[in-house]
Amino acid sequence: MACVNPVPKLYRSVIDDVIEGVRDLFAEEGIEEQVLKDLKQLWETKVLQSKATEDFFRNSIHSPLFTLQLPHSLHQTLQSSTASLVIPAGRTLSSFTTAELGTSNSSANFTFPGYPIHVPAGVTLQTASGHLYKVNVPIMVTQSSGRANILQHPIQQVFQQLGQPSMIQTSVPRLNPCSLQTTTEKSQRIETVLEQPTILHSGPVDRKHLENATSDILVPPGNEHKMMSEALLSQQESSQYINLAGVTFPLQVSQTNSNVEPVLSVSASMTQNLHGGPLSTGPQGALHQHMTDIQLHVLKNRMYGCDSVKQPRNVEDSSSLPVSEKDSKSQMDLNIQVTDDDINEIIQIDGTGDTSSNEEIGSTRDGDENEFLGIIDAGDLKVLEEEADSISNEDSTANSSDNEDPRVDIVEEDPLNSGDDVSEQDVPDLFDTDNVIVCQYDKIHRSKNKWKFYLKDGVMCFGGRDYVFAKAIGDAEW
Amino acid sequence: MAYQLYRNTTLGNSLQESLDELIQSQQITPQLALQVLLQFDKAINSALAQRVRNRVNFRGSLNTYRFCDNVWTFVLNDVEFREVTELIKVDKVKIVACDGK
Repeated sequence: MACVNPVPKLYRSVIDDVIEGVRDLFAEEGIEEQVLKDLKQLWETKVLQSKATEDFFRNSIHSPLFTLQLPHSLHQTLQSSTASLVIPAGRTLSSFTTAELGTSNSSANFTFPGYPIHVPAGVTLQTASGHLYKVNVPIMVTQSSGRANILQHPIQQVFQQLGQPSMIQTSVPRLNPCSLQTTTEKSQRIETVLEQPTILHSGPVDRKHLENATSDILVPPGNEHKMMSEALLSQQESSQYINLAGVTFPLQVSQTNSNVEPVLSVSASMTQNLHGGPLSTGPQGALHQHMTDIQLHVLKNRMYGCDSVKQPRNVEDSSSLPVSEKDSKSQMDLNIQVTDDDINEIIQIDGTGDTSSNEEIGSTRDGDENEFLGIIDAGDLKVLEEEADSISNEDSTANSSDNEDPRVDIVEEDPLNSGDDVSEQDVPDLFDTDNVIVCQYDKIHRSKNKWKFYLKDGVMCFGGRDYVFAKAIGDAEW
Repeated sequence: MAYQLYRNTTLGNSLQESLDELIQSQQITPQLALQVLLQFDKAINSALAQRVRNRVNFRGSLNTYRFCDNVWTFVLNDVEFREVTELIKVDKVKIVACDGK
């Protein structure tokens, strides 16, 4: 027999222990017992709502019970299609055969077996809570995420809610609410609903019935779908910004520091504006301000050394603002050279060259702002970024070589220096993952590039689901 | 003093969120919430040490490793976690481990 998932029980016991442990604390503070109960309720609800413990609820209640009412006319059909009713899996459930259905009641109770059940047409399903569903076309009842949900296979399906439980001929043993009724399943059902949109298009009347009775199953799809799609969109939008910036932005956006993120998103949007079209001098000033803010924030965070310094520089370059910082002037000059086909000047990075060229370019830029900005695209930004990177990595030797033909040299430098560039996106994004293990280590061993991990007392979370271990031993190669 | 390591788990985070809600509605004080979290640390540490008995093996490739303040942080790629009962594959996993001694 498959082992029972220990996580729900463990979590329950931890919750109980903690609540008991703080009961005295609450009493000392003079806080009502009700608050403690609220805390427990909130806590349990949140744990249930997460996918962390899909069986959390299941262990505390019986499995959902379905009652099948089979019209007599189907009796013969069922006899011949027994296999379609129960997917044989060696379970005792297979006793749900037509033999049992041979009574006048033509009904049978069965516990949801955990594997999909194909229900032929004309069958009435009743859940333990008493709601009736008449199936007009064959459906497949499956259990997803540990709960029973009703999905459908054929496109045309009509669920008719038959009315009140009192209409049921046979008595239905009422158990604890089956999973169809549990509100905690909402998040899971939403997914199911979204996967099976046709169920909602079956007809307005039916839909109303369904929505009234099965608010748990059929959450108004529009809202939920919108919410989810909005969430997706927002993520996509942010990624759009990242793509437009094309450079080191993605790194920063994923930072956990809330101070940085909004500023960065502003700058990202401004960068987008730059790509899009004209930029008045007003926002430019603001942009510059934001740039310095970004610098401050980022430098404050002390994250990813050269990346953080690089980023504002890149944005400044792309925004084509007159740079107030001397140390980045030279880079900007170079960058401008790269992107402006018309200017074939020889850049002098050191000496007196940079000031004059800066002014010249600055004036040009003011006039041809739009064109200049239009030239910049993600590809150029990448070049700019790599150029800045190469400059920051190397000394003036590289810069001097650019004097002759900046464009060609920069292109050549890319492959030369690309080896130095460990993909910067690694560090910030790398540590941002859904799959986390929190544990203690007994021993970490390394031999050349072979690592061995001896871990203990860990909680793992993979894609929302939780697991625990007392000991974990692992191997990895670096 | 038990590790506060486990506060960043589903269980720990849901507790913190619940406590935050109660603080917002001024039903408890932040000080009390802190005490609750400390109690949680003790409870989860002892529960993991005593009530959990299973073993897991895993294999993958190491992307990064970091050892700072006696805390190891690894990022592994393409990892397979093997338990007696099941096999779990993930393409990226972060492991945060405190000293177990």
